[in-house]
Amino acid sequence: MAEFTASVFQNEFLSDGATDVHAIVTVTVAGAGQAGQGQGMAAGEIIIVDTSGSMTGENLGAAKHAASVAIDQILDGTWFAVISGTDTAARAFPYPNARLPMVQMEPGARAAAKQAIASFQPSGGTAMGTWLTLARELFQATPQATQRHAILLTDGKNEHESAQALSQAIYNATGVFQCDARGVGSRWQVDELRQIATALLGTVDLIAKPADMAADFESIIKQSMGRGVAAAELRVWAPQGSEVLFVRQVAPTVEDLTTRKTMVNPLTGSYPTGSWGDESRDYHVAVRVASKPVGSEQLAARVQLTVRDEVVASGLVKARWSNDDALTARIDPAVAHYTGQTELASAIQDGLAAKAAGDAATATVKLGRAVQLAAATGNDEATAKLRKVVEIDDANEGTVRLRRDVAKLDEMALDTASTKTTRVRK
Amino acid sequence: MDPLVSDPRIEAAAEGTVEPAADPTLDTVSEPAVEAEAAVPVLCPACGTVNDPDAKFCEECGTQLGELVEVSSDPDSGDDEAGAEPNESTSSTSAPRRACVYCGGSIAEDGYCELCGKPAQSERDHWQEAPAAWVGGVCDRGIRHDINEDAMALAADPQAGEFAVLVVCDGVSSTPGSDKASLAAARAATAHLAAGRQIDVTEGNDDELAQSRWSDRMLEAGERASAAIYEAIGELAARTNPPSCTFAAAVIDGPLVVVGGVGDSRVYWIADSGKSRQLTTDDSWSQEMMAHGMSRQQAESAPQAHSITRWLGADSPDEAPHVVPTYPTGAGWILVCSDGLWNYCSDADDLAELVHRVVGMVGSNPVQVSSSLVDWANEQGGQDNITAALARFDSVVHTPAQPA
Repeated sequence: MAEFTASVFQNEFLSDGATDVHAIVTVTVAGAGQAGQGQGMAAGEIIIVDTSGSMTGENLGAAKHAASVAIDQILDGTWFAVISGTDTAARAFPYPNARLPMVQMEPGARAAAKQAIASFQPSGGTAMGTWLTLARELFQATPQATQRHAILLTDGKNEHESAQALSQAIYNATGVFQCDARGVGSRWQVDELRQIATALLGTVDLIAKPADMAADFESIIKQSMGRGVAAAELRVWAPQGSEVLFVRQVAPTVEDLTTRKTMVNPLTGSYPTGSWGDESRDYHVAVRVASKPVGSEQLAARVQLTVRDEVVASGLVKARWSNDDALTARIDPAVAHYTGQTELASAIQDGLAAKAAGDAATATVKLGRAVQLAAATGNDEATAKLRKVVEIDDANEGTVRLRRDVAKLDEMALDTASTKTTRVRK
Repeated sequence: MDPLVSDPRIEAAAEGTVEPAADPTLDTVSEPAVEAEAAVPVLCPACGTVNDPDAKFCEECGTQLGELVEVSSDPDSGDDEAGAEPNESTSSTSAPRRACVYCGGSIAEDGYCELCGKPAQSERDHWQEAPAAWVGGVCDRGIRHDINEDAMALAADPQAGEFAVLVVCDGVSSTPGSDKASLAAARAATAHLAAGRQIDVTEGNDDELAQSRWSDRMLEAGERASAAIYEAIGELAARTNPPSCTFAAAVIDGPLVVVGGVGDSRVYWIADSGKSRQLTTDDSWSQEMMAHGMSRQQAESAPQAHSITRWLGADSPDEAPHVVPTYPTGAGWILVCSDGLWNYCSDADDLAELVHRVVGMVGSNPVQVSSSLVDWANEQGGQDNITAALARFDSVVHTPAQPA
C-alpha cells in the first residue's frame, strides 16, 4: 500500500500589514508499487517513433533499437501500441489490420511488436499533432487502461502541420494520457516538445547521441511502469476572500500549474499531477490573504494530494502576524532556494530566446543573471551548461560575455535542462 | 471498573475541572445558601450569550460550552484521562463539529475553519466573563505562548458597587499542568470568597469587623485555592517542579476592597482622576530589588525580574496571601491582572492613562475594556498569557461606620 506524506516549509510569521504567504510543500510517495497493479487498474503504454525521411540512417537504427528495448520494459498485462509518425500517424502495432486498438503485453505480442518496429521505413514529413491524436484515439478506445503514458521521439521540426493544429491536438490529449518527449540531434525545436511535455505532464529532454537513446527509453519506461499511483491531484484550499497567486511544481522540475486549476468547490482548486512512483515532488504555493492584526493566526492554505477524490496527504500553510522583526524578516530557505531556481529557469529561456532573436544585449543580461542564480542556488549542472554558452567573468556579479560559435546542441541542452532544479541544501 | 474512577480524590478533581461552569460545589465544602448568587454564568465564546452555569451547549447558537480542560498539552502528565470523566472524553471526541467563532463556518479536523481558516479557539485559550454589567474580564493565551496558563474567575452582584470577587491566577510556565492548576485555584478561591458574602449581610457595618472577616476569608481562599490545585493536578503534585500559580484577588464589599496576593499578579486601583495605585505587593525578585533601592524600571527590565519568590502549589514554602484592605475614593476601576498585561505598563499612573484611553475609545463596559487591554498587550508583543479583569466603581463615598 502506498504511503503519502506532505511536509510544509515556510516562515509563517508575517509583518504587520503583510498579505502574501509562501510555502514549499514536499509531497512524498513510498511503496507506490507497479503501474496498473492496483485494484481495477490497468496501465497503457504507447511508443511513438518519428519515421520521417529525416530519420534515415543512424537515427532510425538507434530509434528501432531503443523502441525494442522499451518494449522489453513494458510489464506483461499492460495495454500497449506502437505508432510510427510522419506527416500522418500510422499504428505499427497492433498491425493495422488487427481488430483491437491496443493489446495486452505477453511474450508473443512482445516478439511481434519488435518485428513491426524492425520493419520501420523512413519516409515523409513531420506532423506531431497527428501522432498525438492517434495515440489519444487508441487510448480512448481502450478504457480498460486507466493509467496511460506515451513516449514520443522525434528528430525534427513540426513542419507539416500548423502550430495551431499541434496545439489543438495537445489540448485534446490533455488529461487523456501523459507523455514524455525526446528529441534526438539538433534539428528539433525545444519549445515544441516542451509544449507537448508540459501539457501532458511529462518531461522533455535532448538525446545528443543516437547511441544513448536505448538507455533513455529504458529508463523512461521503467519509471512509467514504476508509477503505481495513478492520476493524483494536488488540491489547494485557500480561505474565503484570499487569492491563490500561484501553484508551481519546483522539483524535480519547474512547472507552473497555476493555469491548470479546476475548482473542486468555491475555495478549493485542483491541479493534475499525473501518476506517481516512489518519489518526492516539491510545490511552491503562494496565497494572498487579507492582513490581520498582529498576534492573529490563520490558515492560509491546505495543500493536499488526492487519489480518486480521497485525500492521501495534507499539509497546512499558516500565517501568523507579528511585529517581531526577528521572526518576520527571515525568508524560509526552501522558499528562497526555489524562488531562485524558478527565476533561473526563466532567465535561461529568456536569454536563449533573446540570443536566437539577435538581441545580444538582453541575452547577455539574462544569461548573466542565470549564471548568478545558478551559482547562488548551487545548481552546478546549470552552471556547467551555461559555461558552454557564455564566458563567465564573475559568477557572483553575473557578468558574462556571449561565446561565439556556440554548438547548437549545447544551447539545446541548456534549454531543455533549464527547468531541472536542485533540491534545497538542508 | 476503571481504577481511576473509583478513586474519590480524582473523581473530585474531575468534577472540578470538567464542569467549567464554576459550579460552587467544586469548593468541596458545600455552601448551598449562596449557590444561586455566586454561580458564575457561562458566556458563549461564539455569540456571547449568557448561559446557565451548568449549560453544556449555548442556548442561542448551540456552540458546545465547557471544554476548558481539554487543551492541556502537557506530554508527560499522564493524567489527562483522570482529568475528565470517561464518558466525557468519549463524547468530546465524537461531538459534532464546532462552529468557527469568527465566521460561523465549521471547523475541520485539522483544527482550522473550513471557510475563513482561523484556528478553532478553545475556550481555555481565550474567554471572557461578565457576571454583572459592572464586572468583567478577559483571559487570553497571548501570542508567544502555546498554552494559556492564566486563569480567572469572577463573581458579582447585579447591583453596581455592591459585591464582587475577582481572582486571577497565572500558572508558572516552566511547569506542565500549570494551566489546570491556575484554573482550579481561581475557581476555588472565587467560590470561597463569594460564599463569604452571606456572612456579611448584617446590620450595622463595622469597618474593622468587615476588614478582619474578609482578611481571614482571603487567607482561607488561598488555602482553598491551594487544595484545589492538588485535586486538579493529581500525580503531577509529586514532580520536582509541580504545577503552581500566582494568586491575585479582590473582594469588593460595599466601599471596602480587600485584596490578596501571592506572586506577581496584581490588583490596581485605577482612579478616573487623581492618584492610581498598585494595591498588591509582588513577591518577586524585582520587588525585592526595588525594596533595596533599585529603580522600578531597572528592576523590572532585569532578566530575573519575573522570578517569583512565592506561589501557590505543592512545593510552595509559604502560600498565605498578603492581604490589604482599602477604601478607594472617587470613581475608578479595580483592575486585577497578570504580568502579561502589566509587563507592558507597570506603573499605576501609566496603566491608568492606558485604561482611560481605552475607555475613551470603547466605552466603560468592563468586558470591552478588558478585551481592549488584552488586545493592546498583544499588540505590544503578547509575550505572555494576558488576563485583565475589571470592576467599575462609580463615585462612592465611604462614611466610616460608627462603632455600635
